[in-house]
Amino acid sequence: MSNIKKVGMYVFLSVCAFISIFPFLWMLTSSTNVSADVTKGRILPGSHLFENIKNLFESVDISNALLNSAKVSISTTLLSLLIASLAGFGFEIYRSKARDAVFSILLLSMMIPFAAIMIPLFQMFGKISNVVPFVGIDTLSGVVLPTVVTAFLIFFFRQNAKMFPKDLLEAGRIDGLTEIGLFFKVFMPTMKTTYAAAGIITFMSSWNNYLWPLIVLQSPENQTVPLLISTLGSAYSPDYGMIMTAIVISTIPTALVFFFMQKHFVAGMTGSVK
Amino acid sequence: MSTAKKGMSIERKSNLTGWLFVSLAVIMIFVFYFYPMFQALLLSFKSGTGMNLQFTGIDNYKRLFSDITFITALKNTFIYLIIQVPIMIILALFISVLLNNSQLKLKGFFRTAIFLPAVTSLVAYSVIFKYLFATDGLVNKLLMNIHLIQTPIAWITDPFWAKVTIIIAITWRWTGYNMIFYLSSLQNIDNSIYEAARIDGASATRQFFGITIPLLKPIILFTSITSTIGTLQLFDEVVNITKGGPGNSTLSISQYIYNLSFKYSSDFGYAATVSYSIVVIIIILAFLQFKLAGDDK
Amino acid sequence: MKKFLTVLLASFMLLTACSNNTNTANEGSGNTAAPEAGKKQEITVWAWDKVFNIGAMERAKTVYAEKNADLTVNLVENAQADIIQKLNAGLNSGTTKSLPNIVLIEDYRAQSFLQAYPDAFFALDEYINASDFADYKVGPTSYDGKQYGVPFDSGVAGLYVRTDYLQEAGYSVDDLQDITWDQYIEIAKAIKEKTGKDMLTQDPNDLGLIRMMIQSAGSWYLKEDGTTPNLADNAALADALETYKRLMDAGVVKVVSDWSQFVGAFNSGEVASVPTGNWITASIKAEAEQSGKWAIVPFPTLPNTPSSVHASNLGGSSWYVLNVDGKEAAGEFLKETFGSNADFYQTLVTDIGAIGTLKAAASGEAYSAADEFFGGQKTISDFAAWTEQIPNVNYGMHTYAIEDILVVEVQNYMNGTDLQTVLSNAQTQAETQIR
Repeated sequence: MSNIKKVGMYVFLSVCAFISIFPFLWMLTSSTNVSADVTKGRILPGSHLFENIKNLFESVDISNALLNSAKVSISTTLLSLLIASLAGFGFEIYRSKARDAVFSILLLSMMIPFAAIMIPLFQMFGKISNVVPFVGIDTLSGVVLPTVVTAFLIFFFRQNAKMFPKDLLEAGRIDGLTEIGLFFKVFMPTMKTTYAAAGIITFMSSWNNYLWPLIVLQSPENQTVPLLISTLGSAYSPDYGMIMTAIVISTIPTALVFFFMQKHFVAGMTGSVK
Repeated sequence: MSTAKKGMSIERKSNLTGWLFVSLAVIMIFVFYFYPMFQALLLSFKSGTGMNLQFTGIDNYKRLFSDITFITALKNTFIYLIIQVPIMIILALFISVLLNNSQLKLKGFFRTAIFLPAVTSLVAYSVIFKYLFATDGLVNKLLMNIHLIQTPIAWITDPFWAKVTIIIAITWRWTGYNMIFYLSSLQNIDNSIYEAARIDGASATRQFFGITIPLLKPIILFTSITSTIGTLQLFDEVVNITKGGPGNSTLSISQYIYNLSFKYSSDFGYAATVSYSIVVIIIILAFLQFKLAGDDK
Repeated sequence: MKKFLTVLLASFMLLTACSNNTNTANEGSGNTAAPEAGKKQEITVWAWDKVFNIGAMERAKTVYAEKNADLTVNLVENAQADIIQKLNAGLNSGTTKSLPNIVLIEDYRAQSFLQAYPDAFFALDEYINASDFADYKVGPTSYDGKQYGVPFDSGVAGLYVRTDYLQEAGYSVDDLQDITWDQYIEIAKAIKEKTGKDMLTQDPNDLGLIRMMIQSAGSWYLKEDGTTPNLADNAALADALETYKRLMDAGVVKVVSDWSQFVGAFNSGEVASVPTGNWITASIKAEAEQSGKWAIVPFPTLPNTPSSVHASNLGGSSWYVLNVDGKEAAGEFLKETFGSNADFYQTLVTDIGAIGTLKAAASGEAYSAADEFFGGQKTISDFAAWTEQIPNVNYGMHTYAIEDILVVEVQNYMNGTDLQTVLSNAQTQAETQIR
């Protein structure tokens, strides 16, 4: 690659990186400032970080909220990845007209705004509460249940399965693997990068999920982090320094998850066809 | 004879296996999505407030056509769709191809940096955007310093520029997100294909259009459809940065649904009708995109 | 297969761990069935804002505990918008499990809820006396002849001014007593000339100023029946809009688009006045350096509307009891605190600066205290006096829907469309939207 092209590439990527990071950096410095400074748009860091953290932990039970969010996001991610990839695999590898039709119908579920199905869903959980309280209203399981399977994720796994070399499956069958064995021993390891990407996306969307946890959860002990932050922000005189601190704390888990998963993007294809 | 019998049962076995793989997901989606969607469809034929909903037939649907607010929201949402989605996809593709280059240094840093917006909390970045793009905010100061503009642009309080601000915000937030999808799929393309092409003398551009794009087609289709759906259901950015303003100039359909349900007098029936209008539009657009991609579903 | 089972097992373990929370939670939240007298009872209250509303409830708890130690009051804080969503979801859900006993609802919204969910709220005629409260609060909190809300904070409006900027421009506080908006604009121009400061902020998406103006003239977006839009033939509204345009065109307004920018503007001394409800006092006092530089004068009147008085309201909310188990206990609780206890209101004023609307409270000590921050002005008694003059209007069902329509039309008006066209467009749209 020519040097001009190389320099151009680095410049372009650096500009993109800077534009992307800047608001995040502003968020970090704001968490070290007093509320009044934050509202004036101050960019430089201050010395108020410990004050803000102290105020935060004294005003709200953020460690509990973090724990709740973690429980919800981790279980949602694990279950989602499993169920959606099984389905995506099934739709693509065992194609049939009937299943393709079902798949297209499933896609419909992505098209309705959540606000429209929110109330009927809530009514359903109201009834569920009367029968099986531990997955009903005001439970973390109730938050997880409707969000575990999404057509989005099934769609994602299916499209990636299209790029999966089917001959690997044949090789596996010849080696005597069962169909389910093929899924776990051949498909899953090969599609590591897909799982990594899906894992990050699902974790993030579950962690930041707002509307459904808002109406399902009632007690303060069950609040997740986004709900907490929304409450903080709606005071008549919000403490913006404290809010930014809360936001930084709530962003750390997703940033960490990304940071650790991203090296899986560079994993090349393991186990080629012999 | 025995081979013929084996043949049949393999097919049936394959069919059964197929259903086994997908059944749990399908059942859950039917229960948690389609059942409420059906309820919402029934609701869309009713009107009223809160619990006092009465059956009004297709009145709600007729109302859509004369509802100025709905039509404005529709126009706005389409503007976002047509301008923002292509820009974002092309940008994300370009960046991910650059980042896929094994010779590039600082790959990890760039990847993390560009993905960060997707991780940044909505509340945080909308407050930040409001400050950055305020009339006396940093962006204006910067643009004036490098003499690109003479007077400050009213990024948030001018009907035209507010839309631009929203498009910038969406692109800023979601490009990195889509980049992840492309990157992870690019890993599945064997390097040897590129090697062979290089040996044959193909330039980087030829390789991009001749190899990368066709092989990535399923993922590009995926991101294009999900971005279409995401933009048509746009809510967060509009509500938090411009609040649909000034006036109605950045109002999105989802925000209008929210207003109808919670801000005004809780006419859940009409809100459901507006929701279904989005569904219809998405179905049409998704169908078109599938056809264009030549995908044999 | 092993991996599969391990993953599945892990997820189920997590899920059961999730459910452990709910066992303790269910004991804490929700409503217990009405027990016999003397037994322990629990009620839940939903409100927003920790310092003001939740703070008021906490003090009510303490006061009531002296009378009846058997009642446990759980306070749950949520953002106002969130409360509206949760309340709607809960009222539509068919389970009362997710509903609180007492909820704070903004007066502009109350009629909407009372009408949309009849039977969801518990009438409080046997617990409080509507005539004990400021007249203008009774309308929004009652429905169909019954009293449902316990009026809480007064949104009585005042004009907060920076006395130092006034002086620089050659004015004194007395010059701003009982003025019209046109006089205000003149003073604003002088201040801009002499000090370079804007007079006030305005958010184009928020027509609070217009709401205050028309309420000062006894008018509203809706007619007295609470459902008919009153835009096209509304003289007070026309006057308000014309005044608003003159104000915006005078170059004395700093445009903002966010609550934090609004607060930031007066905290950093960029504006010389803030016309708004008295609940802003705490935010103004947050900038301690500005102590002694502020005063509060009566709300200006509309220049061409004789019925406009020097008093108006912005915001304000009231407590409502839901028709679920525990409603009588909730009613008793409210009766003994917000419903009648004048001493309690003194505590509210001194501790959190919350001005209530119980008429009897206005003669209490705390109400006549002088505030150094405002140069020794007896701000609370001023506000209390103005409260009695606030004209009574019916906020009706559609305040926010109409405001959203008006926001668009006001933009058109600012851009040159003539007033009559703008108002009649708004009227037509409002009539179509509102059924």
